Amino acid sequence: MTIIDVDIHQSWEDPLELTRRLPAHFREMDYALPGGMYSSPVGVSRFDARGDHGESAGSSYQKLKEQHLDAFGISKALLTGGDTLSLGVHPHAEYARHLARAYNDAVLDLWLPCDPRLYASLIIAPQNPQTAAEEIRRLGGHPRIVEVLMCSASRLPFGNAFYWPIYEAAQEMGLPVACHPGAETRGVSNGFVAGPASTYIEWHTNLNQGYMGHVVSLICEGVFEKFPRLKFVAKEGGLAWIPGVLWRLDKNWKALRSSVPWVKKLPSEYLIEHVRFTSQPIEEPANVEHLLALFDIIQAEKTVLFASDYPHWDNDSPRHALPARLPENMKKRIMSLNALETYLFPESSSIQ
Amino acid sequence: MKRHIVCRTSELREGERKLIEADGKSIGVFNVKGNYYALRNRCPHQFAPLCLGKVTGYAPPSQAHEFPWKRDGEIIRCPWHGWEFDLKTGQSVFNPHKVRTKSYEVAIESQSQCEEKVESYSVEIEENFVVVYV
Repeated sequence: MTIIDVDIHQSWEDPLELTRRLPAHFREMDYALPGGMYSSPVGVSRFDARGDHGESAGSSYQKLKEQHLDAFGISKALLTGGDTLSLGVHPHAEYARHLARAYNDAVLDLWLPCDPRLYASLIIAPQNPQTAAEEIRRLGGHPRIVEVLMCSASRLPFGNAFYWPIYEAAQEMGLPVACHPGAETRGVSNGFVAGPASTYIEWHTNLNQGYMGHVVSLICEGVFEKFPRLKFVAKEGGLAWIPGVLWRLDKNWKALRSSVPWVKKLPSEYLIEHVRFTSQPIEEPANVEHLLALFDIIQAEKTVLFASDYPHWDNDSPRHALPARLPENMKKRIMSLNALETYLFPESSSIQ
Repeated sequence: MKRHIVCRTSELREGERKLIEADGKSIGVFNVKGNYYALRNRCPHQFAPLCLGKVTGYAPPSQAHEFPWKRDGEIIRCPWHGWEFDLKTGQSVFNPHKVRTKSYEVAIESQSQCEEKVESYSVEIEENFVVVYV
């Protein structure tokens, strides 16, 4: 079965790779990514994905190729970076924008030439949507850059008009906008609504909360009316919450639609048309029928894209993550066809 | 059951492990505080190579806000998702009766018992071998 993996975390052989590419001012200021407060007892990366001499997981193309791309027969792999994404909640918008630029150039220089199966996400610093839009227009036309990516941690929900220059540029360049978790509660992002978690298990479980707010905001603020060709990819934010939030939103819309008259149809219809979710970390209910029912409810044959999250600790096996009993057609849609419809992969690299 | 010679006891010291292929299966053999154990190198969750994981201890069930740490060196965590397994039995910590990996019998056998299979060794002193039954 053809496999397209839309979330692979690569890093750099040289830990100073991005720093070296920054303008001198930012190197001299010695800024760093906003740190996290929560450490995982099993580490953030797979224990067996480190290099033989302790190199960080994801830093070696050879290891990625052997352990993941070749081992599972991945046709296309979308590189999403690692901790760099948390630049999106750094208090210094200009530093963040230059770091994003350094990252994007480094991916093009160092990773994409390694293997024709590799594609890249364009990382942006949403703190300043105008300069983020410039970055999208600077590199968004590259044939192997297939999405715009920002961290899901935020100060404002993603439907807010503040972000619209980003969506305008992405739509213009034919790129979906994606978000990915990890920077939650760091930097200038909002904390969890209930208050801070004590441990990594609490923090990691709560990561889907922001996604609920973002999806409701995108629909209610009319982003998909304003940018009708835009797709939004909610990565690694879970699936099982979707029915509950949508049922609630659809019900509310019937009574409250006058407050958002530009929302012209059931909110769930916007979601099915414009929002995509990645599969990992796949939810694992004790009764697999419950997962199959969920896939049916959220129309996974349209909305769910396979992602491994290699080499992180909660990564999913391309072979064993989806239930064996999932209908073959739905499996094909999730493993590759939905990604082909979401991303504009260049013609020449069409599926083997 | 087939008998597989793993190595000399001196080649598998306390805290060390060896991966072997036996009967078409990948198996991890561990020296845990002088005792030897063998587990199938496959996590029952998503079939990751369990025996490449970190050997550690674990926090047994406790009262709220008590922080115990026990059995250091006797637990292995899957290198992918961190599930904990008992090196002595292959049972998982969170559901020992339903979630487990296969555990194999390990024996220490003397030079003479192993002679037929390893006749090329010329051993100066009487030395024992780690043997797994698969």
